[in-house]
Amino acid sequence: MRSIFGLFARSPFGPLAKHAERAHDCVELLTPLTEAFMAGDWDQTQELYKKISKLEHKADELKNEIRDHLPKSVFLPVDRGDVLLFLKEQDSIADSAEDVAVLLTMRRTPTPEAMKEPVRAFVTHVIAVSAAWRDGAAELPTLQEASFVGAEVEKTIELVKDISDMEWEADKRQAAVGRLLTEHEEELGAVSVVYWMKILKEIGDVANHAENTADILRLMLARR
Amino acid sequence: METVVLGIAIIGGLYMAWNIGANDVANAMGTSVGSGALTLTGAIVVAGIFEFGGAVLVGSHVTDTIRKGIIEVAMFEPTGPFGPDGPLILALGMLSALIAAGAWLHLATHLSLPVSTTHSIVGAVVGIGVASFGWAGVDWSKLVEIMMSWVVSPLLGGFIAWTTFVFIRKRILQSGNPVAATRRVSPYLISVVLAVMILSLIYKALGNVMEAPPFLLAMLIAGMIGVAGGAACGWLIRRSPPRQEDPYVYVERIFARLQIGTACFVAFAHGANDVANAVGPLAAVVDLHRAGFEAISTQVAVPMWVLMLGGGGIVLGLATLGYRVIATIGKQITEMTPTRGFSAEFGAATTVLIASRMGLPVSTTHTLVGGVVGVGFAHGMGALNMRVIRNIVNSWLATVPAAALAAAALFTVARLIFV
Repeated sequence: MRSIFGLFARSPFGPLAKHAERAHDCVELLTPLTEAFMAGDWDQTQELYKKISKLEHKADELKNEIRDHLPKSVFLPVDRGDVLLFLKEQDSIADSAEDVAVLLTMRRTPTPEAMKEPVRAFVTHVIAVSAAWRDGAAELPTLQEASFVGAEVEKTIELVKDISDMEWEADKRQAAVGRLLTEHEEELGAVSVVYWMKILKEIGDVANHAENTADILRLMLARR
Repeated sequence: METVVLGIAIIGGLYMAWNIGANDVANAMGTSVGSGALTLTGAIVVAGIFEFGGAVLVGSHVTDTIRKGIIEVAMFEPTGPFGPDGPLILALGMLSALIAAGAWLHLATHLSLPVSTTHSIVGAVVGIGVASFGWAGVDWSKLVEIMMSWVVSPLLGGFIAWTTFVFIRKRILQSGNPVAATRRVSPYLISVVLAVMILSLIYKALGNVMEAPPFLLAMLIAGMIGVAGGAACGWLIRRSPPRQEDPYVYVERIFARLQIGTACFVAFAHGANDVANAVGPLAAVVDLHRAGFEAISTQVAVPMWVLMLGGGGIVLGLATLGYRVIATIGKQITEMTPTRGFSAEFGAATTVLIASRMGLPVSTTHTLVGGVVGVGFAHGMGALNMRVIRNIVNSWLATVPAAALAAAALFTVARLIFV
């Protein structure tokens, strides 16, 4: 077709916001997952692991689709490298959520009674960090409409700062639960302690990746 | 016999014009339909009126270039190398160019190749000149000027579009209150669009009334009309307050109205430049026929009925097939918003109108691509496929020789038959 249509490539900003949604879908399942695990319901834990795994795969599919539409010949209003880095980091959110699920199904690790409430609060907070990120990513289409200047940028930077604060809080809670863990090391035994350390780290990584993604968005906006 | 030649030329010209209306107009209107500023019906109405208007009111300059600016027409005089058959041979040449270009376009559309009507007809005419007299048959300085305009027009279109969008970005999108900024700034934008669009018409109108009209006077009058238009726009805007909506939605809603203005402008400029692709050769044949194929007269202005035939052909093509192509392209272009469309279209239309006024045949599609890329450079577009630029450069190199060969071949056959 002798048409001007060939000039227009698919904008990544809508799909990137959608990818954030899919990543958060994985993260949201962490509450029922950890509840089942701490209650010793291994069948339910297995079920939820399968669900998270499927959702993570859907996120991966979208990630690949976005990458397919971003060859070197595409010209973007922001740095293409930044966009690809952003996508990689955002995908790690879903990856970490899946890794948590893998760890929880790998071994029937017991949970000391005293740890249950702190772990519950930690997971809830990490999910809140991811949700805050999902809301930030949802601004991407509007940012593109605003041509990456003006009030919309300032609003997004504020959101990024909030996520940064929330992630700090998550770090602190992770450290607190870690300390609680060592208080029960005799009760648990060495192998369980090691597993719990991995589990806590992986849960914390969900919040870390969310914050990193937000930082990359900030970079993208700063270069305007 | 002379009537046969004229008759075929008229049919050929009509066919080319129809082709332009069917395939090319869609590119000019695509960004307006894609952004939502015009409905399909709106696009057809705008295109119908303004393509015809541009063709008839400003189309004579480029038509003149095609009919006698590229080939060394004087060499076809009865005193020249071809003798008394000279004028008839020139007419056959123009006929061959027309039909060859039309056939080449038909083939290209069938093979989905991005080929420009402008480049095809220029190439075909060059082919006739070379087939007749070798290198001496073509005014190379003119051809170089034309080919340079093919390079400059997307760049200039891009630059004007870039400037326009940078202005919109800074004054509206970056402001603390985009809604208020839009209401304040849009009357000025519309004034400029209106003034630039009618400037050439005012200048021409003055030329009909006075001997040597100063350009400044034309600018003044066009400017005053522009200001009046802007004031009317301002009054309309005051009656259209923001509803409960996102500020950016409001900005785009207002700019959708403004983009109707630039859509008219693009259609007008496209008609002014591209009608020549259809009726340039026809105008040459009409000229020769008037002199009974006995002499080359190069002084006469392009007859109005020729321009109207071209304009009419374009509208016919639009009405029979073009509307479907516009619908398809409009549906495909989803990443265009009115603010961006306004900027790109203003850049392209201004450039094409300047080129038309200078008698230079340029590709409206390529210039529009330049405009959109210009907006992209101002960070306005979500994602652009830059491979299109490589395709455009390729077409500069490939189309002219291909069309020239086709026309030369047809010309040789025509001479064997008729002379």
